[in-house]
Amino acid sequence: MTATTASRRASRTVIWFILLFVLIIVLASIVPWSLFLNLVSRLNLFATVFLGIFIEALPYLLFGTLISGLVEVFLDRELMARFISKRPVPAAITGALMGLVFPVCECGVIPLTRRLFHKGLPLPAGIAFLLAAPVFNPIVIFSTSAAFGWGPMLMWRVGLSLFIAIVVGLVFAVEQDPSNVLRPMLMSVHDHEHTHNETLSFGDKLQQALLICADEFFEMGRYLIIGAMLAAGLQTFIPQTSLLAIGSGQILSVLVMIALAVILSICSTVDAFVALSFVGTFSFGSILSFLVFGPMVDIKSTLMYLQVFHRKPVAYLILIPFLMSLLAGIAFNYFAP
Amino acid sequence: MPNRLYRSFQALLLLALFLFLMSKIFNNQLLWYINQRFVVLTQIGIVFLAILAQRLFTEVRLARERQKVEAHDHDHNHDHAPSPVNLWIMLIPLLIGILIPAKPLDSSAVSAKGLTTSSALISSDSTSRLFETESEQRNILDWVKLFYFEKDLNPFIGQQASVVGFVYRDESLPQGQFFVSRFILSCCAADGYAVGMIVDTPQADTFEKDTWIKVTGSVDAVSFDGKPSPLIHAETIEIVPQPDQPYLYP
Repeated sequence: MTATTASRRASRTVIWFILLFVLIIVLASIVPWSLFLNLVSRLNLFATVFLGIFIEALPYLLFGTLISGLVEVFLDRELMARFISKRPVPAAITGALMGLVFPVCECGVIPLTRRLFHKGLPLPAGIAFLLAAPVFNPIVIFSTSAAFGWGPMLMWRVGLSLFIAIVVGLVFAVEQDPSNVLRPMLMSVHDHEHTHNETLSFGDKLQQALLICADEFFEMGRYLIIGAMLAAGLQTFIPQTSLLAIGSGQILSVLVMIALAVILSICSTVDAFVALSFVGTFSFGSILSFLVFGPMVDIKSTLMYLQVFHRKPVAYLILIPFLMSLLAGIAFNYFAP
Repeated sequence: MPNRLYRSFQALLLLALFLFLMSKIFNNQLLWYINQRFVVLTQIGIVFLAILAQRLFTEVRLARERQKVEAHDHDHNHDHAPSPVNLWIMLIPLLIGILIPAKPLDSSAVSAKGLTTSSALISSDSTSRLFETESEQRNILDWVKLFYFEKDLNPFIGQQASVVGFVYRDESLPQGQFFVSRFILSCCAADGYAVGMIVDTPQADTFEKDTWIKVTGSVDAVSFDGKPSPLIHAETIEIVPQPDQPYLYP
């Protein structure tokens, strides 16, 4: 970026801000006062919901980026190659089960998966890990059982998530060259120290892990923030009640719950408690698809996916789990109501 | 943007985020955003933010010393900081948190998120506990749960209730009635939604919406939205300050 384009961009930003300011003033003078008050209370709702999602997700994202930093400095490529097979099926299965070792939710799993890819994790394993880990890990299994008991809901949730994760992992096994799927990782400043990584002491390595963690927190945090803003905006302007009102019927109810999972964008560690509040209103199948699809795809994770993968793989990552959880939900509605 | 400058801004932003969240803890507003169970986790996260900020400040200092030692022309090797957009976006939660006055979910949120007078909210085996609690000890959520799970509501009719909540006016209620309501949070404000009991009182018009009140009176069952719903024939209604913990947890 040259100096002229930078200054041109800066002046354009200033113009936009002035225009926005003028627009606000004009609107404020035209719009009647009651509507304005309504808008202010909407703004309050927006802020509360946004900060709710952000504050709740913050420790999980920090945890994910910290693990990612630690993996970068402490995990050997050779060690990983020894544990994870290159053949697609075993790789996908190991990947799907890896959540037991790395207990992360959907915010933390994305930077961690990218880091593991960077360390040479095979595609099918990484994809299966990405999709399964937010459900198949001790914290989430425990919270689901706290909400629904050790019953069919928990079993189907875990089983179906693992199944979908492995299937999508195998789909990605078709691609031989990871660079067709993964976007190049931003080489940030810490990478020049790589060469003498071996000679670093434990303390230095830890320091370096913290630095990587901070960089990744900023990089992934921006998608968390934009995602939380979108989710809060949707919640402020599309009343949940109107969404729930159309939620009857075998197929529509599943679609509504899937849409709700995307809009709510809540962490997989607690979504079971949220799902519980729909037990009276929605069928087993629709709630199951909420619990399976929500951890894999929502607004903020979609934005984070786009940072890690090219567009086409992201489409697969969203569409295949969507269709499969939709089908599963509908099947339950018809055959086991 | 030069790398050292980027690092300095990173450190400052983390520090600001740390201070912002600390202020939320000290003025007890953290509970306006998240379920109580996440408070400890959030506190750990906040401490970690401080550690990261400290680490970045050290890095800035080290880089400055390194630059003094090394020749200036060596610099371009290191100078590819990530895009400054990251920094701008990290400013958003701070701006939203500081510029928009903090408020817990209230009446205006009910219209977006909905209100229910009978709902499951938690696995049914825990309702047996509710029989043992004194009727005056039950909160709004307890009553709503009881009315959802119990087939026979007769034992509850006429019991004395005393609940705290905010005033919510719903147009579908007849004259002389309003809701005393609380928000239920499973996770964070994003999934909050309101539960309420109908209050029946001749002085219904005297209470502004969103006023926090304590309603005492006998319980009755009425049908609202086609579901059996709890109603209080109010004997006393007193205005109370907003509780430190404005939400209830399932």
